[in-house]
Amino acid sequence: MAKNVKPTVTLTRSQIKWRVAWIGILLVVCALIVAPTYANYGIDWLNNKTNLGVPRLPDKGFNLGLDLQGGAHLVYQTDTSQILDKDKADSVEGVRDVIERRVRGGLGVSEPLVQTTKVGSDYRIIVELPGVTDVNTAIKMIGETPVLEFKEQNDEPARDLTKEEQKQLDDFNASATKKANEVVKQLKNGGDFATLVAKYSEDDTSKNNSGDLGFVNEKNYPEIYNWAKIHKDGEYSTTVVKSAGGLNILKKVGERQGEKEVSAAHILICYKGAQGCDNPQYNTKVEAKAKAEEIKKQATTANFAELAKQYSTDPTAKTNSGDLGKFGKGAMVPEFEKAVWDLPVGTISDAVETQFGYHVIYKKGEDFAKEYQMSRILVKTKEKSDIVPPAEQWKTTGLSGTQLKRAEVTEDTRTGQIQVSLNFDDAGSQLFADITGRNVGKPVAIFLDGQPISIPKVNEAITSGSAVISGGFTLIEAKQLAQRLNSGALPVPVDLISQQKVDATLGSDSLAKSFYAGLIGLIGVMIFMVIYYRFPGLLSVFSLVVYALLSLATFKFIGVTLTLSGIAGFILSIGMAVDTNVLVFERLKEELRTGKNLHTASEESFRRSWPSIRDGHIATLVSCVFLVWFGTGFVQGFAVTLAIGVLFSLFTAIIATRAVSRLVFKWFKEEGNCLFWGYTKHTSESANK
Amino acid sequence: MKIPFVKYSKFLLAVSAVVTLLSFAALFKWGLKPSIDFTGGSLLEISFSTARPDNTAVEAVMAELNHKNVVIQKTDNNGLILRTAFLNENEHQAVLSGLRAKFENKDNKLRENQFQTIGAAVSSQLRQRSIVAVILVVLSIVAFVAYAFRSVSYPVASWKYGVTAIIAAVHDVMLVVGVFAFLGHYNNIEVDIGFVVALLTVMGYSVQDTIVVYDRIRENLLHHRNFSFAEMVDIGLNETLMRSINTTLITLIPLVALYVLGGATIKNFALALIVGIASGAYSSIFVASPLLAYVDKWQNKK
Repeated sequence: MAKNVKPTVTLTRSQIKWRVAWIGILLVVCALIVAPTYANYGIDWLNNKTNLGVPRLPDKGFNLGLDLQGGAHLVYQTDTSQILDKDKADSVEGVRDVIERRVRGGLGVSEPLVQTTKVGSDYRIIVELPGVTDVNTAIKMIGETPVLEFKEQNDEPARDLTKEEQKQLDDFNASATKKANEVVKQLKNGGDFATLVAKYSEDDTSKNNSGDLGFVNEKNYPEIYNWAKIHKDGEYSTTVVKSAGGLNILKKVGERQGEKEVSAAHILICYKGAQGCDNPQYNTKVEAKAKAEEIKKQATTANFAELAKQYSTDPTAKTNSGDLGKFGKGAMVPEFEKAVWDLPVGTISDAVETQFGYHVIYKKGEDFAKEYQMSRILVKTKEKSDIVPPAEQWKTTGLSGTQLKRAEVTEDTRTGQIQVSLNFDDAGSQLFADITGRNVGKPVAIFLDGQPISIPKVNEAITSGSAVISGGFTLIEAKQLAQRLNSGALPVPVDLISQQKVDATLGSDSLAKSFYAGLIGLIGVMIFMVIYYRFPGLLSVFSLVVYALLSLATFKFIGVTLTLSGIAGFILSIGMAVDTNVLVFERLKEELRTGKNLHTASEESFRRSWPSIRDGHIATLVSCVFLVWFGTGFVQGFAVTLAIGVLFSLFTAIIATRAVSRLVFKWFKEEGNCLFWGYTKHTSESANK
Repeated sequence: MKIPFVKYSKFLLAVSAVVTLLSFAALFKWGLKPSIDFTGGSLLEISFSTARPDNTAVEAVMAELNHKNVVIQKTDNNGLILRTAFLNENEHQAVLSGLRAKFENKDNKLRENQFQTIGAAVSSQLRQRSIVAVILVVLSIVAFVAYAFRSVSYPVASWKYGVTAIIAAVHDVMLVVGVFAFLGHYNNIEVDIGFVVALLTVMGYSVQDTIVVYDRIRENLLHHRNFSFAEMVDIGLNETLMRSINTTLITLIPLVALYVLGGATIKNFALALIVGIASGAYSSIFVASPLLAYVDKWQNKK
């Protein structure tokens, strides 16, 4: 062991000063992490005065455990007895997923912790819900078996209005019309538009700007746009203009050039596998491309419409000869848009590839749409949809997770695409065949716990009892989906075997109590050290402050969850941190007694106490390691903070206290004075002899 | 001034042996009162806004709901702690509404502060892990001490330092166990997971304390060869005496603050640590070191 005791390194004065400076910087950084609020006040003040725009520090609190902030800790045992060994982990993972979604979505818990653990051969799910007071609802929601449903599009319209509702609606709109006409009348009689806006308009946003709507285009206010097209600047409307949401009395303020619009026609050649290609005439991309190129050779501006009717696979081409009308930026897919925008007016493009197939495009013209600056007075009206809710988009089919045998991730043998395949039992197969039979070309939605997770389109009726959901999944997404489907399909009953619920008031009470206990303990220790060890005691007070700030900053920085036991661990480690100082100072006392001068005695005491400090700390760390392994919340919280504390006490005593003592001991007489215990007159006397 | 510890060691060791035997006696006579951490069961902490009902009245309500073995404990601020067998969520709600129906009125509201249930599966896992953790900690500390003292095998083999350090640690742990067996019998204080943690911490701490003393003996052994081993032990003890006392006081100050000011949950944990750490300081001076001198004596006799 003796060989590990390093010889004293002699540092120059400036090296020592640098070390102390680094420790000072570290101290400030830690203080900023622990209590950023005060620093932020300063930063705000500075920004106010100087316009420097210094960013504020992140003001994040400590991670508090459930026992300090209130909340619930639930442990579920999963019953995996019905599941094959190799599928167990996956199914439990699936259940975990569902629980997490339920507590996040259903309960609105923002930071739940949902984990699976394996104890022996049992799988358990641990759910931590910080801040949740209504644990009973949480338990109920979590306990439900996941619900998987297949739904089809709902074509049924919403119900009609009852007589009473119709009358209400009519009355409301009649009085609105009356009010609007009154406004028109006042305007005609020379009323001021801005005054009338303030008095009558029901449009919350424009009302405060004298009715100003800004520039309108054909898309956002089509009715107002159409009115503005045929009126001059400064004109008022003499009649009421209807638009979505109500009746408008308008004033045209000005106009400007808007975005470029083009008009074009196209011929589409799609192939099997392309998006939206319901009736493929070409089996491969190559065939489709060849056909498109052939059409391009024949096409002229004169025969384009004819060719479109004849060849285009766009179902609307039969009726509109491929004409797409006028459109602006963003209306078409990017590849198509780029081709059209770059094409000179009056010419025909080469074959352009998009996700729909190959297009041959004829650009008919381009111009710039106008935009009009408008002001309005709005009188709101109601519509049927305001009273009767719109019909549900999806309706249930009777097919659910109970009829799903299993879902798994597969690969399309031809394209290599990742997909999820489903297998139904007999009853499910029959139902699925019926559903797909009546929904060819339409989407069918798969819902998990009321949320749509996949909406594949049915290409043909499926009678085999197996189906495939494809749609650009990554492997991870596909796995996740399969897991979710399986957790709906495979019943994994969960059983609540342990719960811990702490009221938030009790939590904050515990936090305050243990905080005061820690503070008073810390102050008590500081007083003891100063009284007993005098000047070196002051140094240990400094190193305790470094130690406390460093530990707290670390808790915050690496996100240690502070529990009651964790605070106890931290409080206990205060004692250990000071112990290191005690060892050194006792040694210093002895060395001074032997008549050494202050500098040598101090160096010697640090050097000689190092082996026992190191060994003692390792003994405590060994216990901590096993406690962390122990795994339960209480134990881990304690062991983690104790271990961090023990590590930092090494740093503060050996590096920080030592550096500072090297710096400040120089301020005293060679042999020390009565501020150092162990100092003896004897030293100076013998030196004088 | 030099205190001749080794000279009185026979007496001191005898005192420690008697205390340890008493602790064992308490453990076997009364046993420890295991909390729901180890037995499984439920703990419900409630408080009333103005006045709490009598234990018998609460017991009657619980009996109506078919919960016979209920232990009721009063806490400060009109609170009660009810310990029962394992309650599932429905039973838990039934107990709460039963208590509310009986005792709640316009001015006196019942508040649920804390509820804990631990199923048999969890508690048996905790029991198992506690035992394994204790064994592993003991083994690894012996191994570590033997390793740390590997270069000092004369006159006492390094593994014997480890064993004596552990004997001292066992002495401390047994004292804590004895105190809690006593408190369990007379004050209904239970031992929970925190108690096991406290025991393991006490063990680590006691060994750390002993190591500091041994370390001084080791250092002196390397430098001076003209003293007897017993004298070396005495010198080492005297040199580290103030450190042992101060360190212990310093560790106890925050723990006492925690015991007095901390909430009910942490009180027993702090108490176990206070007893164990105080004993740890005692044992490193009065048990571990004299024992080491004895080991040397026995070796020489052979």
